[in-house]
Amino acid sequence: MNLTRKMALACTTAVLGTAAAAETMTIGITQNNVGVDSYQTTYEKAFIAAAEADPDVEVVVLDAGGDVARQIAQVEDLIQQEVDAIIIWPTNGEAVIPAVRKAHQADIPVVVTNSNIAEAGFDFIASFSGPDNITQGSRAAEIMCDKFKDMGIEDEAGIVQISGQPGYTTAIERAKGFEDRLPEVCPNVTLMETQPGDWNREKAQQVMEAFLVKYDDIDGVYAGDDNMGVGALNAVKAAGRDGIIFVGATNFAVGYEAMAAGDYWGSIYQSPVDDAEAALQTAIDILNGEDVPFLNYFDTPKITQDNMGEFTKPVF
Amino acid sequence: MAQLNKTEIGAFLAKQGILIAFAAFMIGFALANQRFIELDNVFGVIRSSAILGVMALGVTFVVIGGNLDLSVGSMMSFSTIVVLDLHDKLGPGLAILAMFALTLALGAFIGFLVGYLKLNSLIVTLGMLSAIHGLTLTWSGGKNMDIADKSGTWFSVFGQERVMGIPVPILIFALLAVALSLLLSKTPFGRKVYAVGGNGQAATFSGIPRARVVFLTYIVSAFCVATAGLLQASRSLGSQNTVGQGMELEVLAAVILGGASLMGGAGTVFKTVIGVLILGFIQNGLLLVGLDFYVQYIVTWIIIILAVWLDVAAKRGRLWSPIA
Repeated sequence: MNLTRKMALACTTAVLGTAAAAETMTIGITQNNVGVDSYQTTYEKAFIAAAEADPDVEVVVLDAGGDVARQIAQVEDLIQQEVDAIIIWPTNGEAVIPAVRKAHQADIPVVVTNSNIAEAGFDFIASFSGPDNITQGSRAAEIMCDKFKDMGIEDEAGIVQISGQPGYTTAIERAKGFEDRLPEVCPNVTLMETQPGDWNREKAQQVMEAFLVKYDDIDGVYAGDDNMGVGALNAVKAAGRDGIIFVGATNFAVGYEAMAAGDYWGSIYQSPVDDAEAALQTAIDILNGEDVPFLNYFDTPKITQDNMGEFTKPVF
Repeated sequence: MAQLNKTEIGAFLAKQGILIAFAAFMIGFALANQRFIELDNVFGVIRSSAILGVMALGVTFVVIGGNLDLSVGSMMSFSTIVVLDLHDKLGPGLAILAMFALTLALGAFIGFLVGYLKLNSLIVTLGMLSAIHGLTLTWSGGKNMDIADKSGTWFSVFGQERVMGIPVPILIFALLAVALSLLLSKTPFGRKVYAVGGNGQAATFSGIPRARVVFLTYIVSAFCVATAGLLQASRSLGSQNTVGQGMELEVLAAVILGGASLMGGAGTVFKTVIGVLILGFIQNGLLLVGLDFYVQYIVTWIIIILAVWLDVAAKRGRLWSPIA
């Protein structure tokens, strides 16, 4: 097994390891912005670990540092290096399409990971590997509804939603999944208002403070991720209100701890380790000529106070 | 007599245009939703605005001194992450001291570059915005930072407790505002800041050590940022690396909205506080009115423009100026 690691800011000279075994496949990855949050940091570590565990795989690990231009240059580098497959975590779903098309024209299969590119680029990619955010939203609605049924308030409960950053696909899809599913399972629960928390705990706390002033009776809060959910929880604690059911998504360590403390009801377990391993496996399967679904989702199960013992605490 | 009164009112309007704009918005929002002026909500908004506000107090010095500070957002992230990380390693007291020392060191570095080396403050602080962000990520390894034992520390006192019924962040914001207002208006140092920002050359010729004054404005700014980081960390006892991202522009907006001149030499701490409160109450008011959030961005902008216009119109005594 050979591992070639290239830092994002280092100059872009190709430093391929000794390609000894004839069967070795070389897979290049360009990530979005490692280090900007714990999810992406953990993803990179898991990706490298998974590649190290497979003797037939050699990887070139790159990071765009959130910069579209750098990511495009990195894709071109990987094409120059004649890697067998390219995995891309798009910095921008639109702007990377020309680079992806170039790889496609060079007969290098491209796997998009975590967040999909825009539909205009679908012809040029072999597969998308990542979470299904619509399903995550609808599962969150089911968690919320089931809990209300347990409490016997499914006919009168009123809830608020704190969504992710406006305009981001993940935020839109999770909100859509939740809003579509909720009336199917709990038709009498009212979603009183939705406001964005921008994936930011502090912002979510401010939004929730305003909700608490505005509504005397709030039975549940759905947050687009646990970071925002915990922000909302902080606001509720500070205001001395209780009996509010919190459901989030992307279970973070803080959310897991709040669940263990009994303050937070449930979330969606999305592991960056699963995310990274699924991306690598998708690329390997494609290179081995196996049939891979175009939208290759990995499972993101429900986690609540009831079943959290089955899951390890997230590391991020 | 009547004439005199009219002049007096005119002079008052000219001086306090922004205050009138603020009062007008408050009344408007209160009519739209009476809960807006409930004490709990007012405290809530000022408490959330305290973090932005404390940073704006410091930037007021920098701006009056004729410079910019775009690094305060990422510097606040740095302070927050550092104090949270050190909390579990050194204990709360030492962590706070160490965080203040490190943040002041960053401020001193910027002050040295802008003050003594006379580098353009826009370039220096824009560069520091990314450099400090990198420093924060390196420190934390990109991970969210959380205090392990959230219920067993007195560290939460700065962000979550109340003294005599008033939330502590509001008290700190108010105390710092009074202290810095006195520093700016009643001390030789304060007058030097106005002199250096108003006309740097003239200040130099009158024997004012321009470089040192500029250096010290960045020290004041860094001290405020460290205080903001302390409030932020104490409020949530955990943080993302990007907690202060983008706040530099909100801070600058509050300072300019308060009437400080981007050219330097004009502005007061009190008016910056009004600028901060306007921004805070707009955000909260729009939420309470329940406006669709895509529209909120636009309405926020309209209200800010209206406030600036009212301020300018009051100063010149008419709504528009036929001659530029």
